[in-house]
Amino acid sequence: MLDLQFLIILLFSPLLQGIIKKIKAWSQGRVGAGVLQPYWDLVRLFRKDMVISKTASWVFHAAPFITFLSVLAASMMVPVISVKGTIFGMGDIIALLYTLALGRFFMVLAGLDAGTAFGGEGSSREATVAILVEPMMMLAIFSTAIAGGSTSLSKLALSVDIFHSPAHVLALAAFFVALIAETGRIPVDNPDTHLELTMIHEGMLLEYSGRYLALMEWAHYMKQMLLFTVAIDLFFSYGIAGGGHGFAALSPLYYALKLLFLAAAMAVAESSRAKLRFFQLPSLLGGAFVLSLLSIITVIMLG
Amino acid sequence: MNPGNELYMTVESEDEFIRRSVELFGRNGGRKALRLMFAADERETGAGFNVYAVFSGMGEDVFDILRLPIRENGRGPGYKSLTPHVPAAHWYEREIADMFGIIPEGHPDSRRLVLHGMYPEGIYPLRRDVSVQDIRKKIDLERPDTYPYMKVKGEGICEIPVGPVHAGIIEPGHFRFSAVGETVYYLDPRLFYTHKGVEKHFEQIGFENGVALAERISGVSAFAHSTAYCSAVERMRGITLPVRARAARTFLLELERLYNHVGDIGNMCAGTGFAIGYARGASLKERIMRLNERLTGSRYLRGVNHIGGVSRDVLENAEETLAEAGKIKEEYKSFMGLIAGAISHIERLENAGLLPGKIARNLGATGVAARASGINDDLRTAHPYMYYDELVFETYMRTKGDVYTRMMIRADEVGCTLAIMTTILKRARGFSTGPLHAGPSAGVPPLSSALGWAEGPRGSVFYFVKSGKDGLSPLRVKVRAASFCNWPLMPFAVQGNIIPDFPLINKSFNLSYSGCDM
Repeated sequence: MLDLQFLIILLFSPLLQGIIKKIKAWSQGRVGAGVLQPYWDLVRLFRKDMVISKTASWVFHAAPFITFLSVLAASMMVPVISVKGTIFGMGDIIALLYTLALGRFFMVLAGLDAGTAFGGEGSSREATVAILVEPMMMLAIFSTAIAGGSTSLSKLALSVDIFHSPAHVLALAAFFVALIAETGRIPVDNPDTHLELTMIHEGMLLEYSGRYLALMEWAHYMKQMLLFTVAIDLFFSYGIAGGGHGFAALSPLYYALKLLFLAAAMAVAESSRAKLRFFQLPSLLGGAFVLSLLSIITVIMLG
Repeated sequence: MNPGNELYMTVESEDEFIRRSVELFGRNGGRKALRLMFAADERETGAGFNVYAVFSGMGEDVFDILRLPIRENGRGPGYKSLTPHVPAAHWYEREIADMFGIIPEGHPDSRRLVLHGMYPEGIYPLRRDVSVQDIRKKIDLERPDTYPYMKVKGEGICEIPVGPVHAGIIEPGHFRFSAVGETVYYLDPRLFYTHKGVEKHFEQIGFENGVALAERISGVSAFAHSTAYCSAVERMRGITLPVRARAARTFLLELERLYNHVGDIGNMCAGTGFAIGYARGASLKERIMRLNERLTGSRYLRGVNHIGGVSRDVLENAEETLAEAGKIKEEYKSFMGLIAGAISHIERLENAGLLPGKIARNLGATGVAARASGINDDLRTAHPYMYYDELVFETYMRTKGDVYTRMMIRADEVGCTLAIMTTILKRARGFSTGPLHAGPSAGVPPLSSALGWAEGPRGSVFYFVKSGKDGLSPLRVKVRAASFCNWPLMPFAVQGNIIPDFPLINKSFNLSYSGCDM
């Protein structure tokens, strides 16, 4: 039964997106769309016909499935509400990150495939951001892995109830920046923009429509929830079923509260500042890289 | 409005035309600005085709209007191009070539400007002997568009076509970027997708109806357009406006400036993705537009202007309006506090889209764009109209010419605008007994002409109106909106910037597509 906990990510990720959008709207003094709007968007897109460029190759058709399935596979490796029963007992964080990278790789290819200027721009920018984010994220994770003595997410979730050591605080700060970059949010990317020339993630998807777009969007929502879940597992797993604390039955409640907290932090961080100029991204992401490096050094020095 | 400030001068030879223009314009646009340039088909009066160029400067309230009668040679009408000597003439001359078939010989850019592919060669819409039916008959929607874009050649140059259909709900315009990586090397904009024959239409609907048409040329500059048009016709008819009408027009011109500037400052936040700033700007703009509606019945200030005065007493209940203006001022202050405190936003604005003063002067920039690049040009003080000569106010000028400077010029001017509005409202009791409308007066004299102008939110707006032989309808109405002067600046302002900064730079100019495309 607990092997099916990835279904939570599959089914509730649009809701999380809706909640973030709602909080963003509130922080800007708007009413905003209902929290269920992402579900309606997906339903609408699944019902629509697709318009596909004549120049598109098989990559364009394969990418939505690969992206969606890679995120789905990755979410099977994550302890969501319980550390027991991640499918196949894999749950390895390095495998998880590179499963996600597979999806991104195909998304970047698909952006280039249709041959439009905006897709190419989006892909080139996405690759630039990915190169900067990946080592930083890996280092942040390594520092928690060294502290926890394992790269298995289940063991890591058990090893730390709530971030307490300086190493974890530094790693969390770096991880938060990585979350912003990976989910395409301000100051790295602007998910709400209609300005084609400034897009990163949306730029790659511009050629998609109908069912393929729905898959891509859903994969994006899932990836966001998945990364939030990883952050929860790594830094505040308190209350997770199978851990030392609390009742297993309360685990979903803890999980929901923690997600809500992260969503609010994300929405407020996003609303209150402007997007960075593209070529200043390395200074933000480089700064986060230094934080994760410091985190590793702290772990090693303090033992 | 000094009635005798239009000095007409007919120049007989093309060399004389160039010589006098250069003398007025100065080196690099140092002396007087080229306000507008246009052609008129006056063959029915025996005067043939004429090209007019209007110059004026900040120093004295005089318009120097040169008229060059056009010779016919074997290949059709033409003259020596002014552009190599006065760069500000470049778009005007291309427009004249498209609309009248008067060829500026030696113009550095002989491509069409206004007419797109569907207009076959040899169709000149603004000639008087070409009727709208003729044009409709000849237009061929299937005709291919073979516009030669400027090509940049070299290793690593990537051409990025953007538009004319955009992702957001904005007007059509095509932008051809030549970029190296993210850096813009060259931008070739193609506009005029919204040509709708406004100037031709003016000639057919009589003077009174022209007001409604003028207000519809550019939504957010509706009042500046209608004021400029009305004052041109009023000058032809020799109407002197009562003080109450002049004050009301001035008040509404400032109100229009206010909601535009506030909206523009907010819109720049959308360019940088600063969501809270954008939302606050939009709600403040909405508040001002509701004031517009309450005072005039129109959110865009339409339907108030008439030839000879205004139709509504916008200055009644001055106390109430004053209170609302006070609240708007408070909200505006806190809004600007938010913007100034948003370091990440301000950082994006600084040094983006630099427009050097020399280029701005040479190309004839107007409005905020000009005043942010060191050109101290404001029609309100250069050629005081309406109630402005009875007001004491400041005009602002900064020199750096980046997006931040353009935002700050707007912020400076909002302060000044609020002060002017307050002054007028406080004096309102003094005029409250006078008439809103000048009394009955003579019609438009045949074959007379006049300029009308206003400093709109985007910059100067000019109308030139010339009446026909019967005096019942215009022979020629030339509309020169601010965007027509400022669009050609864009390629220079974006050069060397990165592509994702283009929308922001574009917003800092706030240019209209339809509003410059008659």
